[in-house]
Amino acid sequence: MPTTDAMIQLIHVSKSYERRTALSDVTLDIEKGEFVLLVGPSGAGKSTLLRLLIGEERPDEGQIFVNGKNVSRLKQSEVPFLRRKIGTVFQNFRLLPKKSVFENVALPLIVQRASAGDIRRKVIETLRAVGVEHKKDQLPGSLSTGEQQRVCIARAIVNGPVVLLADEPTGNLDPERTAEIVELFKMINARGTTVVVATHDPHVMTLVNRRVISLFQRSLSREQQTRASVST
Amino acid sequence: MKWLWYLFCEGWANLRMNRTTTVVATLTTAFTLACVGIFLLLYVNLRNAADWLQEDIRVIVYLEDRISTDNTQELEEKLKSDLTVAAVRHISKEEALSEFRSEFPSDSHLLEGLGENPLPASFVVTPASNYRSPDAVRRWAERVLTMAGVAKVDYNQEWIDALAELTRYIELTAIGMGVILSAAAITIIGNTIRLALFARRDEVEILRLIGATRAFIRIPYFLEGAILGGCGSALALGMLKLGFELFRQQIASTGRFQGMESIVTFFPVPISLLFVAVGMGLGVAGSMVSMRRFGEARG
Repeated sequence: MPTTDAMIQLIHVSKSYERRTALSDVTLDIEKGEFVLLVGPSGAGKSTLLRLLIGEERPDEGQIFVNGKNVSRLKQSEVPFLRRKIGTVFQNFRLLPKKSVFENVALPLIVQRASAGDIRRKVIETLRAVGVEHKKDQLPGSLSTGEQQRVCIARAIVNGPVVLLADEPTGNLDPERTAEIVELFKMINARGTTVVVATHDPHVMTLVNRRVISLFQRSLSREQQTRASVST
Repeated sequence: MKWLWYLFCEGWANLRMNRTTTVVATLTTAFTLACVGIFLLLYVNLRNAADWLQEDIRVIVYLEDRISTDNTQELEEKLKSDLTVAAVRHISKEEALSEFRSEFPSDSHLLEGLGENPLPASFVVTPASNYRSPDAVRRWAERVLTMAGVAKVDYNQEWIDALAELTRYIELTAIGMGVILSAAAITIIGNTIRLALFARRDEVEILRLIGATRAFIRIPYFLEGAILGGCGSALALGMLKLGFELFRQQIASTGRFQGMESIVTFFPVPISLLFVAVGMGLGVAGSMVSMRRFGEARG
């Protein structure tokens, strides 16, 4: 069973793809309302860990708890309902190119069968919060990369998830846009959402200045509990 | 209700996105279903003809010459009280002779040399409406033949049996063709849906990641299949109706089958609606096959 304050808990989790080990015996806790950076070089298993958290993959061994649910034992039909509690931000944004910014952000609410009034109110509020309300009628292709990432974040938080997972969210952004996006994550975290950002960008570590979980050679090499422990 | 509107719009968008494929799939489905429709139409008309003949069926129960008047009356009562019989008419030997003379005046001299009237008395029996099938009539005739005073039971069995057999063959052919061509329609529609799925695989992936249920993702593709199948079958129905009217005009103008144009009928409205509904069902089946394969492909 998960500990009371843990929003995310991994207990001796291992995952392999055919002969390649992606994660080996990882155990970690992330508390409710925490902002955590998941760092490590490419291929260290950061993306695998995030995929495990949203039920996209199943661990070979160990148990995973998210918001009190044992993800590793979740039925396939229950996975969509887990994902509605988790917002996901991607490096390449994954916005639908033929739908407007408003329609892209509205998708999670439509999926949850929200009313038209609720959708309009929440989408506008969220777009305002991330600073792209004035772009609501435009197509993603006409936006800058920074704006596209803001829209992606808006889509991830529009339905008020308890956890926000971001996989290399600043990978395509310049330092100035990176700082803006990190500020957005801090704002979202300040509202009570647990935020997990997977990154290998040292600049993000400096900007965030929170707990860092390092994945090295597919296992947890060290967990840095102190703030400002990573220097550039 | 926004989500319902979204699902409908997505289904429509799928069709619009692959316009050429949609048009080709609709036309191919229409031709395929029209082939099934031709056999169905033939079957329906032969069934109608068989029913019409069945309605007109009369069984003639010939009586033995030495049967007494009492026994004749007793037999008539027995036949009239039979629940499988709708009407019974007695024809005496004299009536039979006079009917023969009036129906075949040029042949009436054939009977003159025989002295005594050779024609037997009979009962003309009309079976009740639920007992006019070839099997029921045959069983009834066999039963009556065992009754005292009955010499022979006659009805147009060969003709009815032949028509029933032909109808059965057409029915089997229609079912066989229906199954084969339905499988073809499912494959055609399924391939169209697969193209739509492939074109929108990123969208499907995003929907999955933001918590869309399997049903929510699939409904637009089911709608697309239903629309394709429905349009295909409606078009097939239109082609059949056109072909049917041309055929009817043709047989009316030749004059060789006078009156036949008023006997042949097109599908009644309920059958036409069922035809379109079946087309929609085949479309949904095609979508299901594609969705399953797509699901398996992405693991």
